Amino acid sequence: MSGEEYDSDMDYSEEDCGYADYYNTEEDCDIDQIDPSKTDPEYFVFDCLSVEEVERLLNESVESLSNSLQITPSLAKVLLHAHNWLISEIVSKYRSDSSHLLVISKIKPPHPPEPSILQLGRLQSCPVCLASQSSDKFKSLACGHPFCKECWSMHFEVQITQGVSTGIGCMAQECEVLAPEDFVLNSLSRPALRDKYQQFAFRDYVRSHPHLRFCPGPNCQVVVRAKEPQAKRVICNVCRAIFCFRCGTDYHAPTDCSTIKKWLTKCADDSETANYISAHTKDCPRCHICIEKNGGCNHMQCYNCKHDFCWMCLGDWKSHGSEYYECSRYKENPNIAHESVHAQAREALKKYLHYYERWENHSKSLKLEEQTLLKIKTRINKKVMDSSGTWIDWQYLLDATSLLAKCRYTLQYTYPYAYYMEAGPRKELFEYQQAQLEAEIENLSWKIERAETTDRGDLENQMDIAEKRRATLLKDFLENWPILSSSKRKTFF
Amino acid sequence: MAATRRLQKELGDIRTSGMKSFRDIQVDESNILTWQGLIVPDNPPYNKGAFRIEINFPAEYPFKPPKINFKTKIYHPNIDEKGQVCLPIISAENWKPATKTDQVIQALVALVNDPEPEHPLRADLAEEFLKDRKKFIKNAEEFTKKHSEKRPSD
Repeated sequence: MSGEEYDSDMDYSEEDCGYADYYNTEEDCDIDQIDPSKTDPEYFVFDCLSVEEVERLLNESVESLSNSLQITPSLAKVLLHAHNWLISEIVSKYRSDSSHLLVISKIKPPHPPEPSILQLGRLQSCPVCLASQSSDKFKSLACGHPFCKECWSMHFEVQITQGVSTGIGCMAQECEVLAPEDFVLNSLSRPALRDKYQQFAFRDYVRSHPHLRFCPGPNCQVVVRAKEPQAKRVICNVCRAIFCFRCGTDYHAPTDCSTIKKWLTKCADDSETANYISAHTKDCPRCHICIEKNGGCNHMQCYNCKHDFCWMCLGDWKSHGSEYYECSRYKENPNIAHESVHAQAREALKKYLHYYERWENHSKSLKLEEQTLLKIKTRINKKVMDSSGTWIDWQYLLDATSLLAKCRYTLQYTYPYAYYMEAGPRKELFEYQQAQLEAEIENLSWKIERAETTDRGDLENQMDIAEKRRATLLKDFLENWPILSSSKRKTFF
Repeated sequence: MAATRRLQKELGDIRTSGMKSFRDIQVDESNILTWQGLIVPDNPPYNKGAFRIEINFPAEYPFKPPKINFKTKIYHPNIDEKGQVCLPIISAENWKPATKTDQVIQALVALVNDPEPEHPLRADLAEEFLKDRKKFIKNAEEFTKKHSEKRPSD
């Protein structure tokens, strides 16, 4: 079936659906258009919770587990922390082999402790401080290693001051048994230390919980909750930080969490070479005057000779055209397998630099466009003062700027994705779409920087095109994103 | 003071036990938190010399681990030019207050005798150790002859 036929079928089916819908409520054509989880690849449901709300949430899990297994809340916490808060899994493992579960959760030792040599009233030496004390001054965990109470509390104090809480263990060499919360808290007398322990434990619990994620914003207390640990965009409703729910770093669609981590590590390792090679200024390809880039747009016009060129490839801007923008695509040398190791290394560096320069360039453009936003605000004020349109007439320009930032952000994160893609038709498709997005973004940037009238039609059209290109790319390449029209296809295949 | 009581006992025990591979232990009367001693390895290429180390115990000992430094230069993948050594048993994460100093020293002697090139402090030496063992042994022997201390006669 050719694309054209398919398209006409689609048109037909949509019309048909609207009609059929009237009689058949099970047809989900309309729902497709309303439900954003099916139309928006970046759609994600999440809540921003306060510390108190999260504490309540965690306590509910602790209570539920402690009730169903008849264990102390303190042991329930150790189990939940060790098994990512999956209550049902813990319960079924406990029912099938409780002893094994307690051993792998480091609550019990792998071998039962030797019968205690403690005898009431007898003097005994503590293996840590070597002081002799009566045996009622000693305490031990489930492993049975006895230490005096002073040493336990000193041990906990030192560990807590180093930021350790749920990970505090027995003091014996090669013993892995962990100290549960009640054991620790009963050994601590200073309230400040108990508070600190609970703070650190809370941090550990949130980190081990697959549905919770601390907002990475500086000094932000918010914890974000979502049903699935997906690599989706979340925005903190307090500090406005934007980040990926799964890994907690800057949002990185369409690239996935492990790839972006690999890319950022690589960039950090190779940054010196890359910085050395990609300087901050370039010469005009026609008159060779030195040009410093002072705006985000990559469509450059030399102030000296008025030559229009592309900042990335230094080619004539006209050759980029609107149809086929090729500057974002890396052209691999087809004969590289036959070249020497040295040439291959050069080629690898060249390939990396191609993607790195574009990644870095869009990051710089984003920063420069923040300055453009300030300039636009002054320009708007000036225009309004000169009675050239009202303040409201000019607001579309601010919307355009924020849309530009959103599109450029996604574009920046397409480069690590492309770098790690294997050559083939899928990569060609990706780079084609990337090039399309790139071209539309540069058009938008150019138009925003030069908007002189309140005539918004042209710009709004450009905004629409750029956002559609961005959404199309994400829909086609975002991991785990279901094929959009699968339900529609099913209806008539 | 828990640290003083325990260190005095440990020092006494080590001295009376007569460890062959750790000798000539010197501790300043006024400061029991710093020990010096000679590591005497058995395995080539280090068995032609002895190496002076310093052990520094923190005031919070035994709740925090001691630190070990080589005072004698040594050609070893796990010990760097400043004399720092990477010993898991005394890392902050692994440390147990009940671990005794003689266990720490035994772990150190074992590491000196059998380098662990998998987690090196000096990557260049680890590579040589793995790729050209003959050359490594020759270099380490020459280095030991030149820089190390005399082994105790008995």
